[in-house]
Amino acid sequence: MLLRIARKEFLEMVRDGRFRIAGGIVLALLLTSLGLGWQRYGEVTATHEAAVAQERELWESQGEKNPHSAAHYGVYAFKPTGRLAFFDPGTESYTGVTVWLESHRQNQFLYRPARDGNTLQRFGELTAAAVLQLLIPLLIILLAFSTFAGERESGTLRQVLSLGVNRRDLALGKALGVAGALGLLLVPATALGSAALASAQADAASGGLLRALAMASAYLIYLGSFVGVTLAVSARARSARFALITLLAFWVFVCLMAPRAATDLARRLHPTPSAQEFATALAEDKDVGIQGMDYDDYLERRRTELLAEYNAERIEDLPINYNGWRLQVSEEYGNQFFDRHYARLWDQFEAQDRLRQVAGSVAPLLAIRSLSMALAGTDFSHFRRFAEQAETYRRELVAFLNADLRDNAGPRGFGYTQTQAFWEQAPSFAYDAPGAGWALTGKSASLAVLLAWFLVATVWAWRGALRLEAI
Amino acid sequence: MLQAIGLSKSYNGVRALDSLDLLIEPGQIFCLLGANGAGKTTTINLFLDFIEASEGHALVDGMNVADHSLETKRRLAYIPEQVMLYRNLSGLENVEYFTALAGQDTRSRDQLRKLLIESGLPQEAVDQRVSGYSKGMRQKVGIAIAVSKQARALLLDEPTSGLDPKASNEFSELLERLRGEGVAVLMATHDLFRAKETGTHIGIMKQGRLVECLAAEKIGHADLERVYLEHMRG
Repeated sequence: MLLRIARKEFLEMVRDGRFRIAGGIVLALLLTSLGLGWQRYGEVTATHEAAVAQERELWESQGEKNPHSAAHYGVYAFKPTGRLAFFDPGTESYTGVTVWLESHRQNQFLYRPARDGNTLQRFGELTAAAVLQLLIPLLIILLAFSTFAGERESGTLRQVLSLGVNRRDLALGKALGVAGALGLLLVPATALGSAALASAQADAASGGLLRALAMASAYLIYLGSFVGVTLAVSARARSARFALITLLAFWVFVCLMAPRAATDLARRLHPTPSAQEFATALAEDKDVGIQGMDYDDYLERRRTELLAEYNAERIEDLPINYNGWRLQVSEEYGNQFFDRHYARLWDQFEAQDRLRQVAGSVAPLLAIRSLSMALAGTDFSHFRRFAEQAETYRRELVAFLNADLRDNAGPRGFGYTQTQAFWEQAPSFAYDAPGAGWALTGKSASLAVLLAWFLVATVWAWRGALRLEAI
Repeated sequence: MLQAIGLSKSYNGVRALDSLDLLIEPGQIFCLLGANGAGKTTTINLFLDFIEASEGHALVDGMNVADHSLETKRRLAYIPEQVMLYRNLSGLENVEYFTALAGQDTRSRDQLRKLLIESGLPQEAVDQRVSGYSKGMRQKVGIAIAVSKQARALLLDEPTSGLDPKASNEFSELLERLRGEGVAVLMATHDLFRAKETGTHIGIMKQGRLVECLAAEKIGHADLERVYLEHMRG
């Protein structure tokens, strides 16, 4: 009985010109976005692999020079892109995936495609994630708004109910029919996406399969809640037209207005400085120092400790290269400020993210967006994890170079040089990619919101169907 | 088979149906005559449990429809004034769907095709989409659905209005055949002639009340028309 109803709904939709056109457009967009994502992913990965190999080689063959010059020469660190990033590039277009690591400073990220974006991109990039988050719900509404209301209006519902059909079967069958018609679009797209995933080279983000499965489930729950809401409204609406208008208003609110409003609210409640303001504040803070202790005071204190350690009266009596030591002290002084300022900035970003997750309770789009980016490894948490690891590595590398200068330069000072054998010993950077579990920590609000939406929509549709009026 | 006991329905204090008492036995065709708004369609909707009775009961095969909504409907077949079908499906697919929903999925495609043609649908139309069907053709699909359901009672809401005389006549013949098989029929109609021809009993409704109940064989055409008009005027 169920399958019979589902088959009829499916057949009707597939034979309907409106579905063919709308479905065709959405399928074309979905495939295009997958293609674009794939191309982008391919470029980024290829560049990344080439750059990583080349970067180390450049570092090792930089020739004979002073270790501190080498520290200024610096290295690039590249954030490996997980396979799923081709589906949802998340914040990477804005945060960038590359950072230059050098002595004295923690740099901002480079390679931000959004900076070179054209006007069209202000409307958002065409990503497969955006198609699934925004357009498929719209398609669900267009497919199913008339499910009950249209049949009631045309009179077929009277006839169907006069047969003694269980309303429960009718509702489930119709939901299945919508799912089947959607499957016609989603199954080929998913198959294509999976094939692309499988053909991708070794995954940078670990737990790739787990992440992909979790992502697919999250999207199914998200889309399922739209099917529920659409059927519920259709069961209650007096006319198909009324159902359509109500559902379109709901879509505009959930998919367009609420996310925008949540972002603005997050910015207002947890304001972040501009890049300029951030740099100025950092520089000012560095000048003033911590608790009334500026760099000169700090250096003085460390020097006293140093002299005491070596039981020496004067700097000249020390068995180490003082400049090498002083460079590291200056580094450590500066790091305190980077730690404080970046932590504050990033905490603000995370506070914004939490607020958006909570706002997902009115607009499930925010919840799925947050989960999707997290599972694709392209959300802010992944960015922060990479940035923090890169910064830790920068400090290790600089400390390694300064230590060599301090211990081995002796009286030659800045005239002291090192060669390839030494550069080869320098630590290299390896990003420790997190698993699916890590990606979902801190996303419990989004998970809960998404599940709650699904449950409420299902119960609502269920009750609407059971109380379905024939006339 | 079909029974109404003190059946009433009010909308905002206005009585659309007022204490209807009615008993239709198997093999009887009860024709309800009356102007628009007299309560004919309300009566049918109450038997289908599409609306809730304000007072009284509607019984099908001795079961109260409000308590046995699904079981009573399985014993009924309903043909509205306009049989509405799924326009993107063919006539045969429509019959298949409705028949399956009625719980008769044992019937084969060929049986249903035969049934459609027997109901008077042109052979070439059976596999065409119903969006191109005339009203008469849709009505015939509706009849095929009702017949395939093997219902023991028929509820007909002006089933012949807008049909050409030939189709109308075929419909009367079909009713006659079903009557012979022991089906109870409740038919709301405007057509005095058809009511006299096919009905075994004729009821006249006015403002929600059944004001006259006649045995069809005991009254002539002219008398029926006179009685009807008297009620409408008075």
